Amino acid sequence: MITININEKEIRLDKPVTVLEAARTAGIKIPTLCAHELLEAYGGCRLCVVEVERMLKLQTACTLIAADGMVIRTKSEAISNARRSILEFLLINHPLDCPVCDKAGECELQDLVNKYGATAGRFKEEKRKVPESHEDRIFTRNMERCVLCTRCVRMCNDVQGASAINIVGRGGRSRMEPFSPTSFNCEYCGNCLTVCPVGAILSRPHLHSLRPWQIDKEVETICPYCGVGCSFVVQVRDESIKRVIPRFGFGLNNGLLCSRGRFGYEVTGSQERIKVPLVRIDGKLHQSTWDYALNLIADKLKDIRDTHGGSAIAGIASPRCTNEDNYVFQKFMRMACKTNNIDSISRIGFASAQRYFEDLLGQGITANIILGLKNSDIILVLGGDPTAVNPILGLSIRAAARNGTKIAVIGNAKGLERFKTLRIVPDIFKEAEVLEYLLTEIFRAKGLRGEKPALDRKIEGLSGKSLKIDIAGLAELKDVLLSGGSVSIVLGMDVVHRSRGHRILFAVAGITYLLEARLYLLSESSNEQGLIDMGCVPDMLPGGRPLVVGDFKKRFETVWKGTIPEKGGLTLMEIIEATKDKKIKVLYVMGENPVFNLPNTSYVKEALKSLDFLVVQDIFLTETAELADVVLPASGWSEKDGTYTNLERRIQLLRKAVNTPSSADDWRTISEISSKMGYEMHYPRAEDIMEEIATVSPLYKDLTYDEIEKGNCLWPYNGEPLRGVVSEIPAAEETFREYKEGLYLAPEKILFHSGTLSRRALALRKICPEPTLKIGTNHAEKLGLKEGDNVSVSTAQGSINVQVSIDTAIKDNKVLLGNNFEGRGVFSLLNYEIDPITKVPGIEGCEVTIEKI
Amino acid sequence: MCHSRKSGNPEKRNWIPHQVRNDRQKIIMEKILLKNIENPDSADINEYINVGGYKNLSKAFEYQPKDVIEEVKKSGLRGRGGAGFPTGMKWSFADADPKFPKYLVCNADEGEPGTFKDRPILEKNPHLLIEGLIISGYAIRAEYGYIYLRGEYPYAKEVLNRAIRQAYEKNYLGDNVLGKNIKFHLAVYQGAGAYICGEETALIESLEGKKGQPRIKPPFPVNVGAWGMPTIVNNVETLSNVPYIIEAGAVAYSQIGSKDCPGPKLYCISGCVEKPGVYELPMGISLRNIIYTHAGGIKDGKKLKAVIPGGISTSVLPADKIDCPMDFVSMPKHGSMLGSGAVIVMDESVCMVKVTYRALKFFEHESCGKCVPCREGTEWLRKILERIEQGMGREGDIELLSDVSETISGRTFCPLGDGAAGVVIGMLKHFRHEFEEHIKNAKCIFS
Repeated sequence: MITININEKEIRLDKPVTVLEAARTAGIKIPTLCAHELLEAYGGCRLCVVEVERMLKLQTACTLIAADGMVIRTKSEAISNARRSILEFLLINHPLDCPVCDKAGECELQDLVNKYGATAGRFKEEKRKVPESHEDRIFTRNMERCVLCTRCVRMCNDVQGASAINIVGRGGRSRMEPFSPTSFNCEYCGNCLTVCPVGAILSRPHLHSLRPWQIDKEVETICPYCGVGCSFVVQVRDESIKRVIPRFGFGLNNGLLCSRGRFGYEVTGSQERIKVPLVRIDGKLHQSTWDYALNLIADKLKDIRDTHGGSAIAGIASPRCTNEDNYVFQKFMRMACKTNNIDSISRIGFASAQRYFEDLLGQGITANIILGLKNSDIILVLGGDPTAVNPILGLSIRAAARNGTKIAVIGNAKGLERFKTLRIVPDIFKEAEVLEYLLTEIFRAKGLRGEKPALDRKIEGLSGKSLKIDIAGLAELKDVLLSGGSVSIVLGMDVVHRSRGHRILFAVAGITYLLEARLYLLSESSNEQGLIDMGCVPDMLPGGRPLVVGDFKKRFETVWKGTIPEKGGLTLMEIIEATKDKKIKVLYVMGENPVFNLPNTSYVKEALKSLDFLVVQDIFLTETAELADVVLPASGWSEKDGTYTNLERRIQLLRKAVNTPSSADDWRTISEISSKMGYEMHYPRAEDIMEEIATVSPLYKDLTYDEIEKGNCLWPYNGEPLRGVVSEIPAAEETFREYKEGLYLAPEKILFHSGTLSRRALALRKICPEPTLKIGTNHAEKLGLKEGDNVSVSTAQGSINVQVSIDTAIKDNKVLLGNNFEGRGVFSLLNYEIDPITKVPGIEGCEVTIEKI
Repeated sequence: MCHSRKSGNPEKRNWIPHQVRNDRQKIIMEKILLKNIENPDSADINEYINVGGYKNLSKAFEYQPKDVIEEVKKSGLRGRGGAGFPTGMKWSFADADPKFPKYLVCNADEGEPGTFKDRPILEKNPHLLIEGLIISGYAIRAEYGYIYLRGEYPYAKEVLNRAIRQAYEKNYLGDNVLGKNIKFHLAVYQGAGAYICGEETALIESLEGKKGQPRIKPPFPVNVGAWGMPTIVNNVETLSNVPYIIEAGAVAYSQIGSKDCPGPKLYCISGCVEKPGVYELPMGISLRNIIYTHAGGIKDGKKLKAVIPGGISTSVLPADKIDCPMDFVSMPKHGSMLGSGAVIVMDESVCMVKVTYRALKFFEHESCGKCVPCREGTEWLRKILERIEQGMGREGDIELLSDVSETISGRTFCPLGDGAAGVVIGMLKHFRHEFEEHIKNAKCIFS
């Protein structure tokens, strides 16, 4: 125990901390500029000086470690003089252009001078002149205003790990500069913006738009982009989002954001939004009224249900919609439309993987705290780049690497290139073998756990197989995994959407089981976990209750007042195929764009065209909405209340930030149609839906918005098992595909975009305006390709033209393309084959030819 | 440990007794640090071996590393970089840290204006330094040594690299030094021309490949240094003393020069003297003796005006204050510091405002930019001084100069800012009238 005395106040400390920290915990304010709670001490600004008894000079509180018996004063004539002179020094070369500086009003230097500074300066010489830089698309740099606190550099280097900027030059000629000559060429997380105390780095999308005090309101809400669910504050003026800012000590992201979260907010304010319902008349979409459109839908659905039965109707829910939307949607499909044909795009990855792991390893196996990654000794990453799919989760991996955690990567994860301990790159079609080999080796070294007989049997069975694998680094990877210490596995969805993806999933489950590892599933959309929890899957009711268990079904039927159809529904691709076969006649799509987001676009398009009736509820006229018979405007992320459940199963509140009169909440629209069809649903507010969810779903039992608002509403669930134990692990006949030397096309999840949503965010389009085909250095050389070359990418499915980007991190014969830009999505070039076990459309191994144009 | 001397003859030495002599007696002492440098091939390993070089290496290896540290402690050797910290004590701190590997870094970044004392060792006697490094490395159990060489010494780099190559060939460096199963590797790392990299933590940052800026202390480099490991940073001259301590023994060594900081010292004299240069003299010799006896007095028979005794960062002494013993302990009592032992002599024709301006121009240029008072303060001071020197001084400028330098003083991150402020404070203390006249006459009174 350390006891120190600050300003006559006794402070007891458990461990040695800096005097600054000790003072802050005791509520004593010491002014600072270069110090920041997320960053290591720097000691540059010299503002936090204090007097310490028996020390001659004034000491900086940020660097001085409290020692037992220290007597400290934070206020005195000498301290005031020192602070005043430091502020005078800071102002001698500061341009004092507060009237035109965006930071005025929230500028730390301004506040400090106001409180501690002198009223007039004595500097009569000429100030340093540095022209403002507008060379970057997103950031302006004004190095006259810079106080060289280096918070941005430390943030970029030590927290974000992008290392894109540094201070160049010396003394008064020091400037913060990006390493690339003009633009920043960085991850555009903008965390440097957050920590800049002055107006030295500013966001161009927000530049000169308004003053901090002109904000109408600030709303704390959740980022709509990925499955991490970062918290931030939305600043609104005139019913339009002006800026998104994170807050330190708030939310699981603790003040950090990624490019999508920070700059993607313009989506809902887009001019391209659908404002009124559209109805197809004579082959064309025409503007219509809500009444007409809703009646048309209700009549059509009723007609089909009554003549062909519920099985002729199917619904596609959305991992971007709230829990409330999805709950009402599945209830509508089951109770009003009498069908269990409900699925979502999550089938391609998260929903299938999550279900598979829970069946094998128990419920909640994927519910692990993201921040806990930092405490792992070993992190195994496969199936994608966490720093691109879930950037804030990626930061936890980078932080772990800095603390000495071993990072093992299988496949491509560019964002971890500088942080990995080792990396292996298996040939395409060989991932399953590699993982099965690892599982077998771990089994040989550690034996079985004996807790899950079915799993044990299968692992033992696998070890009988002889595996011939020769990949550089595999032996080291095995040694690392067996080196002891806690293991975390971060699984991206690239290894899930495989035609035999269940083999990979089984091997990962086995490794997780034998090593008692923590499993994290990367989640591309904000509410993939919630979607499953809400029962937007063909075989489970809300709360993970299997449809086939009569008892569970009955409980729901009592509350829902009606009967749920017995027959299990079809999964996503089965729905599309049934549509093509005319077995499904009506498809209701809520907040999804299957034409763009599913493989084999032309097939999907044809299938949807053969429908009797297609309803699409969306905020934009997407590729799918263009084919619809009725398009209903929906409300975007910032326009509604609701909840999201993130990938670690944390339930968080989404709050309405702006009023857009032309938008309508998805759940409200659906309950109206339902009522028109004779199944009454009345919810005055989103909160009332949660009230119902809390009564029917064991996972959300007794949960209220008040409870969620307090934070930390997350797994564990304590109650009866949601589902039974798997006694037999399903297997399927193995197929072998011949490996060829050529190139294979694979989808890429890029950092700056998220599905099709972000393509309406102007700032994100500025950062990444064009799709690029990523190709490894070797293959680029072979094909004679240079950075920026235009190429045509062709597969059996079709051909598109894109620019080439050479990626030194790609070591295998894959070429990567994102699925974000109109008419140039990778899925349009991919074919699929459904995995018999997980029902995931497998899209790997698409041979591709690349020609320079 | 036995202290029998194997080479040299103590009777022939002219020791400075522990009382300081202020007379003009010429001191002739046997050269220790600059031994054999008159030989044009002195940098060659064979020439060095011919005069007894590398003999102390095998002698040192006979002792336990801890005993070598004890011996250096007992010798009273203080760091010659400027701060005068007891070397043996520094070593024992690094030795006490349980972390391995430990690193040994030789600070050859002599950049203090007026200082060129390490240059003769680097260019003429590199093997003495290398021998010192190997013994020191052995003492602190470091297996890797670096010579952080200032960017402006390209010739020294050539010499050092050749000497290191020769030492490797003769098995003084390598995995198995002298077949004694001792590992020591040595490499030269050349700085890029920043004065601040002479500060040990900034030097380490630069050595790691980062921008040279000082680090927060504590932790000190002896615990958390290069790549986070215990690191000893010693000056060229300091390390070059080590072989002699092993050779002569701590007791004999401690007899040389002042009692509190014994040993030979390299003084480099520049400015208005007849014979500028590097002089190896016992520690504690008086400033007057250095200037008048060894450096031949003031050039062209002019009158002495002022002396900066230990490099530009040390306070200026007026002509009547030069009867002071030049060592780490005595100089602060006489209003300045020994610093690097770089004596800058100025005669009556020198404009002190110009000297101050030139010094501040240097400090402004070399300020690393990390902390506010140094970065902004040196620039402000330089701008005021430039005006005064150009005849555009204003009423109140002297008060402002004094106030700004007092504000910098004691509030900067590292001593660079203190040094800059100290120049102005010292000059104003002794030569305020020159500043006043500049302002009054609106021109430089010496031009």
